[in-house]
Amino acid sequence: MALRVPVNLRKNLSVVLYAFQGLSIVAVIVGLASLLLLPLDEYSRRTYISENALLPGQVHAYFGGSEQNIVRAFRREVDLLGNSTSDVVAERMAEIFRSAGLKVGKQRYSYKAAGGEYTGENVYAVLHAPRGDATEAIVLCAPWRNIDHLLNEGGVALTLALSRYFKRWSLWSKDIIFLISSDARAGPQAWVDAYHDLHGENIQSLSVKSGAIQGVVVVDYPGAYHRFESLHIIYDGINGQLPNLDLINTAVQISRDQMGLRTDLQEMWNHDDSYRHRLRTMLRGMVNQALGHSTGPHSSFIPYHIDAITLAAHGNGWHDEGSLGRTVESLFRSLNNLLEHFHQSFFFYLLMAPKRFVSIGTYLPSAMLLAVGLTLTAIRLWVDPRSRSGEEKVENAEKSEKSEKDEKAKEDDKKPVEVVAIDSGPKRELFLPMSIVIGVHFCGVIPFAVFNSIDYKSMASVFYIFIATSVILPTLISILITLTASPHRLLPAFHLSRCFSLLFLGMFLSTLATLNFSLSFLIGLFSLPLTFARTTPKSIPLALVNSILLQLTSPFAALFAVAGYWGLGVEDILKEASFGWWVWGMWTPVVVWCVWWPAWVVGRISVDSSFVMAVTGKSS
Amino acid sequence: MTLSFTCSHQWLPSLPLHILSRLLTLLLFLNFTGNAVADTYKEKLDLQPLSGQFLLASFNFQSHGPIEAFNKQMFQLFPRSLGQILQYTHTRELHLRFALGRWDSELWGAQPGDGQNAGGTGVETWAWVEADNDVEAEARWTSLNNALSGLFCASLNFIDSTRTIRPVMSFNPTGDYPTTNTSSLFLLHGSLPKEPVCTENLTPFLKLLPCKGKSGISTLLDGHKLFDASFQSMSIDVRPICSPHTGACDIEIQQTIDMVLDVSRSLQRRDSPVPRPREQHELICDTSKSYASNEYCYPMDNSFDLPWSLSDLFGRTISGGCPFAINLPVEETSHVCIHAPENRLKTMETHEEVYPTSTEGKPDLQCYMLRENVEFDLAFPKQQPPTTPLRQEPLLYAERSFTGHGQEHGGVKTVLRNPWPNDPIEVVYLESLPWFMKPYLHTFKARVLPAKGLGEEVISELYYRPALDRKRGTQLEAKLIVPPNSVVILTYDFEKAVLRYTEYPPDANRGFDVASAIITIPPQRRRSDGKLIPATSIRTTSLLLSLPTPDFSMPYNVIIFTSTIMALAFGSIFNLLVRRFVAVDEVQRMDLKGKIRGLIGKLKKGKTE
Repeated sequence: MALRVPVNLRKNLSVVLYAFQGLSIVAVIVGLASLLLLPLDEYSRRTYISENALLPGQVHAYFGGSEQNIVRAFRREVDLLGNSTSDVVAERMAEIFRSAGLKVGKQRYSYKAAGGEYTGENVYAVLHAPRGDATEAIVLCAPWRNIDHLLNEGGVALTLALSRYFKRWSLWSKDIIFLISSDARAGPQAWVDAYHDLHGENIQSLSVKSGAIQGVVVVDYPGAYHRFESLHIIYDGINGQLPNLDLINTAVQISRDQMGLRTDLQEMWNHDDSYRHRLRTMLRGMVNQALGHSTGPHSSFIPYHIDAITLAAHGNGWHDEGSLGRTVESLFRSLNNLLEHFHQSFFFYLLMAPKRFVSIGTYLPSAMLLAVGLTLTAIRLWVDPRSRSGEEKVENAEKSEKSEKDEKAKEDDKKPVEVVAIDSGPKRELFLPMSIVIGVHFCGVIPFAVFNSIDYKSMASVFYIFIATSVILPTLISILITLTASPHRLLPAFHLSRCFSLLFLGMFLSTLATLNFSLSFLIGLFSLPLTFARTTPKSIPLALVNSILLQLTSPFAALFAVAGYWGLGVEDILKEASFGWWVWGMWTPVVVWCVWWPAWVVGRISVDSSFVMAVTGKSS
Repeated sequence: MTLSFTCSHQWLPSLPLHILSRLLTLLLFLNFTGNAVADTYKEKLDLQPLSGQFLLASFNFQSHGPIEAFNKQMFQLFPRSLGQILQYTHTRELHLRFALGRWDSELWGAQPGDGQNAGGTGVETWAWVEADNDVEAEARWTSLNNALSGLFCASLNFIDSTRTIRPVMSFNPTGDYPTTNTSSLFLLHGSLPKEPVCTENLTPFLKLLPCKGKSGISTLLDGHKLFDASFQSMSIDVRPICSPHTGACDIEIQQTIDMVLDVSRSLQRRDSPVPRPREQHELICDTSKSYASNEYCYPMDNSFDLPWSLSDLFGRTISGGCPFAINLPVEETSHVCIHAPENRLKTMETHEEVYPTSTEGKPDLQCYMLRENVEFDLAFPKQQPPTTPLRQEPLLYAERSFTGHGQEHGGVKTVLRNPWPNDPIEVVYLESLPWFMKPYLHTFKARVLPAKGLGEEVISELYYRPALDRKRGTQLEAKLIVPPNSVVILTYDFEKAVLRYTEYPPDANRGFDVASAIITIPPQRRRSDGKLIPATSIRTTSLLLSLPTPDFSMPYNVIIFTSTIMALAFGSIFNLLVRRFVAVDEVQRMDLKGKIRGLIGKLKKGKTE
């Protein structure tokens, strides 16, 4: 572990330590500040259409007129079926599709998660492209009940009417699949899994199939007949994956410029394009991305590299089904133009207004800098002489008498304490800290497994038991270690365990930042106290402050914060997480329980040990 | 016979006079001895309404001529351009297919002509080439494809060794070869699934016909209408056929076009090219609904069959019969036939009379004869309530799709369904895969649903020719038996190869087309009623395989990056080489005085010179 540093730094280690500390603080501050700069005009860009083939809004959309009479009739049909079971609904929908001359398929599915059973029946119809060869397809989806469990009357009626309307056109180059999923969360997932033959046992295979899906548009227009004001574009996918920006841009451009329909993102209904609103839109997007949950039926498609968005009607205004239908028509004409799979524009971006975004090159540094801050702290802890145990120091010094270099080190040892050479000195005791870190990380599997296997009913109680356990556990571990280990080994052991845990966290977060920026950033933000919360047996008040800070930034606090953000109970969030893991393959719980929670526990162990050491008087 | 003259006079001037006179007498002689040895030509249009307001129009053009004349390059009705290519490349039998769209067997039933005239999406061709050895056959096959490529304006020249397979079980020669040694005949098969079939392929196709689309049923073949069809397949088959009695051999060329028209879409195209929403009064609404009113319209479908006529659907009428095809024996002159139940009303809208010909034994078949220069049209009145057209259950349903996702691995799943309750069916499944799609043969499995006893093996024979990178593709042929009323699911996994970046097509992100699987049902006797099933073939749809695609701006980044480094390296080395290094103390100190002195010295020097 020979660090090549200039000679004067070799002699005086405290400079290196301060430099690392300074660098990590600067990295964190710059990382945070650069995120706040992103909404400014200088750092964000206007969106643009990258794929020339899309030609958004270049065609006249004709849907309307007498077609609206048909939509109204279908609305009545949907209304009549409002409270029927999903198989009755599927049969009736299949009948309507069949009478339009489409190939119809139905699919039953059943998922088990968090003690509940999620069953339903999807129904879909395939419109063969008139001269097509079944190699490519685009999907128009309407969930029977939307994500808020409202009957999606307008969306389903519109899909039924559009299926008839689209059939009359002979210009389609791709098959069009009309999917009416039984719900907005499990149904689309079951369907898209089965489409790729990757479904589980309780999910039926699809009887009718088409080619590779190039794009998905979901229409969500719930409730009884009303005119809507704006179009809410929802785009977050599972695990924070996003659809190609071109698809969103196309939808925005068509609805705004061609149809005169306002578009909203991230439930920001009164976006005035100011700094505050841009920042809020971005942060709301980041929260959704970090949670990695499904925000609509489109989310399930995105992990399959299928670009998908939901168009949800919002508010009360003067737009009706005609406008929405024309928007969808124009959007499908654009998708139909695609010669290749979406690949031109960005897959990694943060949207802050419908026409403003930052791409990965601009925003990635901020999460990376947070992770770098953690890593730098870890390196500093390693270099720090406090990581070496005192007993070893003597042994090592004796051993190294032979070589000249080591003699020099011996001399250094005799010098005052703050001047210690990097490359010399006693060995670090690695066994104890390594076993603490590895052991705690393995323990992370326990909450993950428990919360993914228990019932919804017992979730809240188990969760509170678990909080209590994870509050006591670090204290217990630190008592155990303090009582068993020799006093001079204690401080280095806690020191090095922090070092390893931070190193692992830093490296993991920088890797995660390239996949799910927001999750990495938020965990990095919550983990900041870990960089300075250390074992301070001589200063109990400081330890107390650190301990409180750690409690405030624990995964549980974050969980409560998320629950508060949506006004839900903690058990609902846990249920969602369990559902997400079993149905969508959502990785957020894994990251939280197996990466973040262990790091936090190790941090707590080192802070709690200060109390224990103070009490036992082992603060050598 | 005058027509044979007009046709053959093209080569007259090039021949010496005495041969000409001999030929003339020969031709006259042929005329007197009968039609047996002269070229004969027939054409037929079969119209078959299909369920779901579709109409199948099958055009069939067939001509025969003695093979001796063909071998001596005496072409009468046989197209000279094609004939010469076949002779040059020693092709004994040629099958060429252009197809677009897909045959919907769920709705339309069995394919016309037992699927023998249909090919997979794009272009497909196979031929028996006569050659001494494999290398020669390959060379002739390549020149055949290059020549056909020019003739049909199709990218057939892209059928290289990577796209050529040599099927073992799937294809059998349809012609007769009494004199040729069959071991010198090589079967080669190639397909281009990506080729878009369009008007530029139709025009040369029509040019091969004796009437070249100017008269006869081929006048209906307009590119705009043909390529608006839901399914469309063009085929050319050339083969020698020999009479079992006399032993005389003929060369036969058969050209067919099968097209499935969506009647409502075709009619609507005529009324308004843009399918705008209909006027309110044109909507057909279900008035039995409780909410039915001016505002609410629950659409009624298929309440009647739309009226149509040939001129509505094809944009023109048949402008009289093709002169080569009208002076034939009576039983062969039914040019236009329509399959429709007897009770259906049909009216003829023609300027002069046409001759319905006898159709004994088939009450649902109505046939008509065309006269020269007499326009022909066929009209079909509105039918209310709608009729249900006859649908012939196909022998087998086949469907193929990809499974899995990702850039590395994938799977293929083929579902073969035998709808017949009592008869197992023997099929040969042929898959021709590009080399960059590498199947794992050990994962090739057949599963029967509903599950049968363990002893029953589905696959009886397997022929596999593995791919060689950039040289040839995979060929997989399996003979299997589909039990009655059950489904056989064939699955296999494959690995996706990474291509060199120059090997990607311009639209790399679209994916790579994988040719249709060919399912051949060899002629066999049905177990239940002892009826002979003719040879049938079925094509699945083609697939779109997405491969890992690089970011194509990467090479440019690399180029820019290396150029920068090159420039830096070159610059510094050049600098080192060219610049003279002088020690500081060696340099003469130049103050103002010295400079002036030097300048004066220079000037002086200049003067003396």
